[in-house]
Amino acid sequence: MKITLFEQAPYRFLPPDFENKYASVCDTPYSLTTREGVYDSMRDFLDELMHGARLGFDGIAITEHGQNCYDMVPNPDIIASALAYMTEVEQLDTAIFPMGRSLGKAREPLRVAEEYSMIDVMSGGRLVAGFPIGLHYDASINNGIPPIEIRPRFDENLELVLRAWTDPNPFAWNGQFNQYPQVNLWPRPLQPQPPVWITGIGNPRTMQMCLERNFAFNYVSWFGAKLTGKRIFDRFWEVADQVGVPRNPYRLGFLQTIAVAETDARAEQEYGPHLEYAFRKGLGTIPPHTLMMPGGIDIRGVEALMRDPSDFGLYQQMQHVTFRELVDAGVVIVGSPETVREQIAEFCTEYGIGNLHAMLGFGSLPKDLAFKNIELFSKEVAPHLRGIWADSEHQHHWWPERLGGTPTPATAGVSATESAAPKNVVTVKEVAAK
Amino acid sequence: MTIELNKPVISEESYSLWSGRINVRVKVAGAGKPLIYFHPAGGLVWDPFLSTLADEYTVYAPEFPGTSAGDPYAIRALADLSDAVLIYDELIRQIGAVNPVLIGQSFGGMLAAELAAHFPHITDKLVLMDPVGLWRDDLPFTHWMAVAPDDLPALLFDDPTSAAAKAFLTPPEDPEIALSAAAAMVWALGCTGKLTWPIPDRGLRKRLHRVTASTLIVWGENDRLIPAGYAAEFESLIDKSRVAIIPGSGHVPQIEQLSPTLDVVREFLHGSANRT
Repeated sequence: MKITLFEQAPYRFLPPDFENKYASVCDTPYSLTTREGVYDSMRDFLDELMHGARLGFDGIAITEHGQNCYDMVPNPDIIASALAYMTEVEQLDTAIFPMGRSLGKAREPLRVAEEYSMIDVMSGGRLVAGFPIGLHYDASINNGIPPIEIRPRFDENLELVLRAWTDPNPFAWNGQFNQYPQVNLWPRPLQPQPPVWITGIGNPRTMQMCLERNFAFNYVSWFGAKLTGKRIFDRFWEVADQVGVPRNPYRLGFLQTIAVAETDARAEQEYGPHLEYAFRKGLGTIPPHTLMMPGGIDIRGVEALMRDPSDFGLYQQMQHVTFRELVDAGVVIVGSPETVREQIAEFCTEYGIGNLHAMLGFGSLPKDLAFKNIELFSKEVAPHLRGIWADSEHQHHWWPERLGGTPTPATAGVSATESAAPKNVVTVKEVAAK
Repeated sequence: MTIELNKPVISEESYSLWSGRINVRVKVAGAGKPLIYFHPAGGLVWDPFLSTLADEYTVYAPEFPGTSAGDPYAIRALADLSDAVLIYDELIRQIGAVNPVLIGQSFGGMLAAELAAHFPHITDKLVLMDPVGLWRDDLPFTHWMAVAPDDLPALLFDDPTSAAAKAFLTPPEDPEIALSAAAAMVWALGCTGKLTWPIPDRGLRKRLHRVTASTLIVWGENDRLIPAGYAAEFESLIDKSRVAIIPGSGHVPQIEQLSPTLDVVREFLHGSANRT
């Protein structure tokens, strides 16, 4: 199993009553910060990721959120490029894994293709290219994209990025959202096609797209395997069966917040307040309507959500969540190495998860405790998990070759957008098929 | 004052436009000279305002692409405002309406104004009811799609507890129909949002000088969604225009103050085209 260290870059010094007064996204007052607090939050985040790289994590992973206080990373590629160079200089064979650059949000998809190309070159071919479709608040409120355009933009932008990486010749692009007279990237990725991962929260259409098109799927729910996991993973593997692809665990990634200490009691004492901070001042204060904006979800998806809102889980309940509630619900896995490794091994095996993204820094967790968490996890938990799937016949087709993967290219398949393509847009796939 | 009305027979027509790329559904009722009604962002709701107008006019109420039941993906054919304006122009010609009155509410007001600006000869009578389409930095407002659903009633209505507002806001009794209607409204907001998000200004300011129609600008005095200050802004940009402010009304005067709204609209429609 591949194990990455995942972190966000929260502002670590918000006032105690923050969750009673403010939203964590969009209009969060920047006046709540100090320059020192912002610098320390960003610096510690980078130091912690590098610490994970030095301790042998298979990858270091980040993601994108704009205009918010729980992940001050409006462009993950800036972080990824710093990590790419430092890990290359230190000769650390770790994947650089932005989860990553949202294509439903991006107005300049060629810039995304170029950034990822540069990161792949700087890292010597260690990029794993993540593309979320786009959180509504981020794509629409922060970046002005009409919600109904998020998925269609994602579709066009992804085609453009893939072609810009792989087409050996310059080409013109006359799309609905982008027009370029000539695309001819310099540089292009070192990898023939960096492995593509789509980060999502459970939309079955997204899963179908991943499975048909040979993209790996990152399930990033924040709520843990116990609460939402079973439904989502069952759905994923059912779709895999319908599509007719093998149940290869390496095509699935899962994010889990984890906190390890010498004993269960110490873990609660040391990490508890910071976990509460993370969820209350992060997910718990995202106004729910900003995650479900009109047009951003297909009409049938809206009906399904109105019948059963559980896919969106517990965002609102997080506003005043307690440590005990987080643990009991399985949202966070906390305790001694023994406690932690048992639970993780169980759900990874049960749900067929071949890539674990361990979120070991969170909320207000100070650097020394984050380092401890990363070290304990790396020494006492990860070794017990790495061997999962070692005996399986499956190969990892979504990991760089330099790091032991056997990557395979993207294939044709359904789009992210639920609907027929407009007739006057001739896609590259259609041309290629003629 | 209650309005006595018999709900007219409403029929539905479908028009194939744009060389068959798109079908637009139109609800039709009444008899008389043609009147085209452009519905607001949440979709077409046939209301007593339209029923009353159907006493004197043939009222055509087109459904914006994507907002018709069973055809949600019609929106995918539409790339921008220009596509929408051309679709509606083609629709009106296919209907065969000559010099139709154009009435638009909110988002529909923007569409009606754009149509009258792009094609000045299309009509000589234009009614804009709390229209969107302009932006002034000193009259900022939050886009309705960014508002939490619980906060919308107070933004739509001066008194969300009034009988008229409640009737509008109360969902259908049958839970299946209610769910379907709610999802349809969300999707309709998404479809019309393509032309209004993030700021409902696609350049109408540059075009309003082209409107030659006599124009009535109706505004709810206590419109908390789009400030009534925009009424004067529209008036200053449209040559033959005047404003009618409806007291005791928020963003939807035809619902919240039906009688006074009908009065000002009918008075305007019955007047000559040369006098606003």
